[in-house]
Amino acid sequence: MHVAPPVNAMSYRSSRSCHLLLALVALGAVACKPKSKPGGERTEILIGGTLPLTGSEARIGGFYKEGYDLALDEINQAGGVEVGGKKLPIKLTVLDDTTNQDTAASLADKLINSDKVDFLLGTYSTALVQRQSTVAEQNKVPYLSGGGAATAIYQRGYKWIFGALAPVELLGTTLMTWIDEQQKAGKLPKPAKIAVLWENTSHGKDFRKGISDFVAKSGGGYEITVDESFELNGKDYSALLGKVKAAGTDIFLADAHLPDYITMHRQYVDAGLCHKVVSYGARGSEKAAIEALGKDNTEYVLSGTWWSPLLANTNPLAKKFVEAFKARYSGRTPEWFQALGYESVRALVEAIHQAGSLDREAVRAKLAGLKMESLVPGGTLDFPQDKGYQVQAPFVVQQNTPDGAPIIYPQSIATAAGIAPNPRCK
Amino acid sequence: MARLADLVVSAVLLAGLYATMAYGLGLIYGVLRVVNLAHGGVIMAGAYVGWVLFDRFGVDPYLAIPVVLVLGFALGVAMYRVLIRRLPRGASGGPASLLLLFGVWLVLRNIAYLLFTGNDRSIRTAYSSSSLAIAGTHVPVTRLIVLAIGLVIAVGLHLLLHRTLVGRAIRAAAQNADSCTLVGIDVERIYRLTFGIGTALAGVAGVLLATVFSFNPASGSSELLKSFVVVVLGGLGSMSGVVLAALVVAAAEVFAVLILPSYLTSAVGFLLLVLVLVLRPGGLFGHRVLA
Amino acid sequence: MTVPPLIPRGMARVFLAVCVVLAVLPALDLSLYTHNLLTRAYILIAAALAWNWMGGFVGQISFGHAAMFGVGGFVAARGMLDLHLPPQLCWLGGAVAAGVFALGAHPLLRLRGPYFSIATIGVGEASRVVFTYWEKFTGGATGLSLPIDADFQYQLYWWTLGVAAVVAAASVVIRRSSFGLRLLAIKADVEAAADVGISATLYQDLIFMLSGAVVGLCGGLSASYASFIEPSDTFGFERSIAFVLMAVIGGTGTALGPALGAAVFVLVDTSLLASYPELHLGLYGVLLINIMLFEPLGLLGLGQRVLRLARGPKPAPRRA
Repeated sequence: MHVAPPVNAMSYRSSRSCHLLLALVALGAVACKPKSKPGGERTEILIGGTLPLTGSEARIGGFYKEGYDLALDEINQAGGVEVGGKKLPIKLTVLDDTTNQDTAASLADKLINSDKVDFLLGTYSTALVQRQSTVAEQNKVPYLSGGGAATAIYQRGYKWIFGALAPVELLGTTLMTWIDEQQKAGKLPKPAKIAVLWENTSHGKDFRKGISDFVAKSGGGYEITVDESFELNGKDYSALLGKVKAAGTDIFLADAHLPDYITMHRQYVDAGLCHKVVSYGARGSEKAAIEALGKDNTEYVLSGTWWSPLLANTNPLAKKFVEAFKARYSGRTPEWFQALGYESVRALVEAIHQAGSLDREAVRAKLAGLKMESLVPGGTLDFPQDKGYQVQAPFVVQQNTPDGAPIIYPQSIATAAGIAPNPRCK
Repeated sequence: MARLADLVVSAVLLAGLYATMAYGLGLIYGVLRVVNLAHGGVIMAGAYVGWVLFDRFGVDPYLAIPVVLVLGFALGVAMYRVLIRRLPRGASGGPASLLLLFGVWLVLRNIAYLLFTGNDRSIRTAYSSSSLAIAGTHVPVTRLIVLAIGLVIAVGLHLLLHRTLVGRAIRAAAQNADSCTLVGIDVERIYRLTFGIGTALAGVAGVLLATVFSFNPASGSSELLKSFVVVVLGGLGSMSGVVLAALVVAAAEVFAVLILPSYLTSAVGFLLLVLVLVLRPGGLFGHRVLA
Repeated sequence: MTVPPLIPRGMARVFLAVCVVLAVLPALDLSLYTHNLLTRAYILIAAALAWNWMGGFVGQISFGHAAMFGVGGFVAARGMLDLHLPPQLCWLGGAVAAGVFALGAHPLLRLRGPYFSIATIGVGEASRVVFTYWEKFTGGATGLSLPIDADFQYQLYWWTLGVAAVVAAASVVIRRSSFGLRLLAIKADVEAAADVGISATLYQDLIFMLSGAVVGLCGGLSASYASFIEPSDTFGFERSIAFVLMAVIGGTGTALGPALGAAVFVLVDTSLLASYPELHLGLYGVLLINIMLFEPLGLLGLGQRVLRLARGPKPAPRRA
């Protein structure tokens, strides 16, 4: 408890506090002395980036880092990238943004304006990328995001932001296209009732749009009877699932990040729910989820992802990546996170190589016009300007089965036929 | 009709969990007049203890409860000795104890991050996804067990407070600490004991929570708030009120889904908290066992 | 007895000197990063000082100031996006809106101590959920992106510095005015204050509205600073906690301690956090515990104690 001291004491104390403040300012001014710029010859290429290495997305941040490290090793072992007639190695600085928007933005500012990096790699998850990318745009630094998929990031008319993840909207459309094939084959009722549950983020909104646009065009083949959003990092979905149960739908389409998928699907199983088609958007085939939920509970879940290790069967670059990854990380099979992290580095480096300089404007121009062979589905990577420089590569649809998670769509690269309706439902 | 039964069943199950979460907070407030802002942190810590015992040593989470009780009690006593004892009591000590315990929560969270990373965890036993059909709805076994344990704790706590010497001393200390000293009760010891019991109960709530939901080091804030709504609604310090209040809160949340988009139902608990505080600061169920 | 000036002359001189130094600092070839960091620090300093008007002067700890921060931010952002008003006008609009929103909390102000604190958590969290859902106003989870203007971004430094300076001066004036003494009386004993005719309701309403308006202003500044504002983060519990931490670390109840706290907070957040991100929660926790146990006036109190010790046994004023 502090009561007001007598007035003379207070003025004494107040002027003391002012001196303290002044001392602090002086200290700050000294500490913040601008670092001397790297003078003359460049000896390395500086790339910076942040990832959520702690906080709610820590697991996935770590996956991206593995992809980065692998790509970097390969490039630097080959001597680096030729810039201005000289091969320079790449130095990558990855900071931890703790899954916090302010931190992600502030660290990007630090990387650009204090550490003087030449280019940026984006962080993971839509909300963070959305906030962080404004810093890159402000400073006119090429920013390649391998972890932000929502169209909202790329539809702002920005010039310097490039997205290596295809839009989530397309994920919704792709899932519906496969479902539509099943319906045409008579395996699903017509009209089929759909429950759409989407996390209330740009990611979820895109997913919902993809599905509702498809449904609108389907001419009465489908009816969305439950259309609800839920909170990112939620705990209790029983009310929401109760609604789904009451509506008696045929198809269950949710869009969730990994922690929410695990929580929600567990309550889904607990509530005794079962649908003819079940999907959590991009989730389903993750090893972490299968461990947490039990293999049998995740069977026949459909997932649309940006990449699958099974692409190694048809795509030589994917094959090379999977082998290199296994060699480096004691035999583990990569998931799409590592693949997209790896590919983001490759795309950025390819643009630097084509530009032959570290000039940001030149590299930006090369990124905008880039068309390179890639490990992504479809085999090429480019950033079309009319889509706000976001990749439009197709999704692969996988289905968890008792013997793994084969690709079931698109037909050209499918490794097994999809199963509908879900045989687990009685 | 089946839908109604569904909702009623989930409300009752949820109430069991909420009541368990709230006992510890209510007991400590009733006796020491300290709002344990570290409550959420202790719940989170309890969840991790249960998880470690299960994941590393294969101990069934419900059998781990005695271990958590002991650890929680020890943590509570230590917290009391090192920190709470030194704080001023009463109105002026309010902000100090609030902020101090908030600091404890931050430390607990940080320790959890260091030990277990930020990844979501959950306890999945062999029977985790089995359920019983009751009144035409699926009732998950884990939730039933949680409800049962919640009730056992309520009865146990009641017996402890009313049938034992220590319990009577605790109740006396809650009513008038000064006269306790006069009749030779060591009030400090009673406070220490109460803080220990309250913390142990929060730890148990954590284990129960871990068998139903997933959790991470940041968990605990919504648990703290819900515990607080329940305690305030039940009349601060009243144990039977806590059980009734838990039912009211759970029902409000569950039935809100009938009129609100489900996204907004997560705001219902918070709004309820504010309404209760503003309209009935004395709680809905007047009689107070402790105070 | 002569009435002491609201700001003593010596203090006013130092204060002006600090402001001038800070205002010309960018001329010294600061890196843009430092420039931006200071801008952010000024916003936080103003917010922490304003939080302290409620949390320190009246002793009502609010865990829900993020709600006002968000309301101010979104009203300002909407003003810029939809009405194309000059940003300064939008910030003011945001401040007014946040002040009005704070007035809406009137029923809460009857509550004291922990009841008030917990109720503010409830209000804060409920507004986060509702505003995130309210897509038409806040853009939902997509948030609102403001046009990017690098020059304006650069000038923000002086705008935020100006706001922080005014708020700091206001803090000192409030603390030393009869208004401030009444607030202290309410903090010490509501009933006794009522007995001598100080209406706790009126004064708390007033100070909570002022505090909310300033924090709302900071919300608008911060939206301009980031060129982006998104509800779930802006209204987040973490943000409310940050206000509490800054004020408590600096010294609650002192006029300028929270400014010191905010500066330390930014420093820790950017330098320490970048190298040891896994330790920052614990660091704040340990700081809080120690402050509460040993030095309730925070770093400011600690600094004064050290100064007194260094000056030897001269008859220094004792902390009350």
